[in-house]
Amino acid sequence: MVENRPILNILAHLVLILGVAIVALPVWIALVASTHASNDFLGGVVPMWFGDQAWNNYSRMLGTGISTSGMPPVSWMMFNSLIMALGIAIGKIAISITSAFAIVYFRFPFRMLAFWVIFATLMLPVEVRIVPTFQVVANLGMLNTYPGLIIPLIASATATFLFRQVFLSMPDELTEAARIDGAGPMKFFWDILLPLTRTNIAALFVIMFIYGWNQYLWPLLITTGSDMYTVVAGIKRMSTVADTDPQWNYIMATAVLAMLPPLLVVIFMQRLFVKGLVETEK
Amino acid sequence: MASITLDNVGKVYPGGTRAIGDVNIDIADGEFIVLVGPSGCGKSTLLRMVAGLETITEGQIRIGDRVVNDVEPMDRDIAMVFQNYALYPHMSVRQNLAYGLKNRGTSKADIEKRVAEAAEILQIGPFLDRKPRALSGGQRQRVAMGRAIVREPAAFLFDEPLSNLDAKLRVTMRLEIKELQRRLGTTSIYVTHDQLEAMTLADRLVVLSAGKVEQIGTPLEVYRKPASTFVAGFIGSPAMNLIKASSVPHLPGTAHAGMIGIRPEDLTVSADGPIQMKVAAVEELGAQRLVHGHIGGDAATVTMASDATLSDDLNLTYRPGSLHLFHPETGKRID
Repeated sequence: MVENRPILNILAHLVLILGVAIVALPVWIALVASTHASNDFLGGVVPMWFGDQAWNNYSRMLGTGISTSGMPPVSWMMFNSLIMALGIAIGKIAISITSAFAIVYFRFPFRMLAFWVIFATLMLPVEVRIVPTFQVVANLGMLNTYPGLIIPLIASATATFLFRQVFLSMPDELTEAARIDGAGPMKFFWDILLPLTRTNIAALFVIMFIYGWNQYLWPLLITTGSDMYTVVAGIKRMSTVADTDPQWNYIMATAVLAMLPPLLVVIFMQRLFVKGLVETEK
Repeated sequence: MASITLDNVGKVYPGGTRAIGDVNIDIADGEFIVLVGPSGCGKSTLLRMVAGLETITEGQIRIGDRVVNDVEPMDRDIAMVFQNYALYPHMSVRQNLAYGLKNRGTSKADIEKRVAEAAEILQIGPFLDRKPRALSGGQRQRVAMGRAIVREPAAFLFDEPLSNLDAKLRVTMRLEIKELQRRLGTTSIYVTHDQLEAMTLADRLVVLSAGKVEQIGTPLEVYRKPASTFVAGFIGSPAMNLIKASSVPHLPGTAHAGMIGIRPEDLTVSADGPIQMKVAAVEELGAQRLVHGHIGGDAATVTMASDATLSDDLNLTYRPGSLHLFHPETGKRID
């Protein structure tokens, strides 16, 4: 659309501003709410501008948590979330890249069957198999452990599929040159394939880290001890208190803190993988 | 350094398609062999069979005295230059050259020495620390050759290495390859579909068609005595005119021929010439012109001086002894 009519420009901007407002408003409210004292909410009116309790709220949540409702400090919950998100992201990449490597570069019986079985699981969301998964994890004694949080979420059909496509797009000549240069399969994988897919790995890491960090249902199910709470599930636990009003200022402070790490990952990894995209040439 | 022997080599794909049939070539130590043929004739497949990238289903390939049918590419002591160079994009030129040596456990000092030597020979010293993407096509091509040289292999295998370069660069690189091969004296097999490249590079040509060897010989042998109508039409530019014997008046000595071949440069315009040609188009090349037309029902070309007068009908005569005669059924040469 190459048009230059001022009225259309204004209209376009109005639509965009409206869109931004709709998306950003909840974040704004969370940010504002996290800076007020808890009794500011009792009137039922949500304040729209910052209060003066920011330092108080954030240091309380990061430092001691709400001991009365059995909540550990947010810093501890964030550490749990970090372990889980890193475990899921790294685990997913490690498993899917090796299985894609096997599917693309090795000829073995039932290779395509294996691929299609993996592919079919794309259609099954975690929630469908959550009860049997819980059973297995419970029987293995992995409730309230990091492996219990990570392992059930570690397989990824999407990532396997993505790496398969990436590997298929690698020129055959590169593989052949490596064979003539005396690189065995694993050497080829480490020396050639892995460096050439690092941009894809970075992109996937961003997506998978956020996926892992935002896990809600699964941690909620299998963590019962407060020392294993993750921050996203923790928010939910804070908001359902008995006999008293939820302390929105603390909840919103936690929510804001929970948003930070994914944001940082996006900001920093973005630079890495854009740089990588420019550098790499297949 | 080694000789390479192909002994009744053939390849049949699992589906039953035959790619290569019954190829016999003896390549002497230090010889430059060019496999040439139209696309799809199996020349690349044959080269890849020598390299070990394709399985050999029939016959035997020997490098030196060793049968290599079931030997891994890396153990065949060969180096290959690919059409798209196949340089590792994430490694510097130096690392690209060193990678094969490193995998073989060559000592660091030795690698350094050999890389420096190869860089010296190919004049790629200034680029050693660059990535391949920062190089031009010709420079990449040199690096690809450098990767072959540092290995000091028994044989070089070239798979259409110049086809991605522009015409001018192709000519220079062609000369460089030839010179390099002379200097190093390494047995080489070179695949190309460009007959000019084949003629200029080869000690001996192997002309392939549909997976079969049509003719093996020095460039001049192949040019002067093409063994079949296929070779006659393929080698030489502009291509040899192949005319049905029945569509020209009887020429002396052509009694048993089905096809008569005359190279365009062997035809001259002459008022009482025995061959009539209808002119259809003219291409000016500067020094000379190519006149395209028909002799009888067959397309034909004549080269003429660029100042010669043209008419729609030309009477042509031929240089004595320049006729090539081919058998009516087999298309094989009749001497």
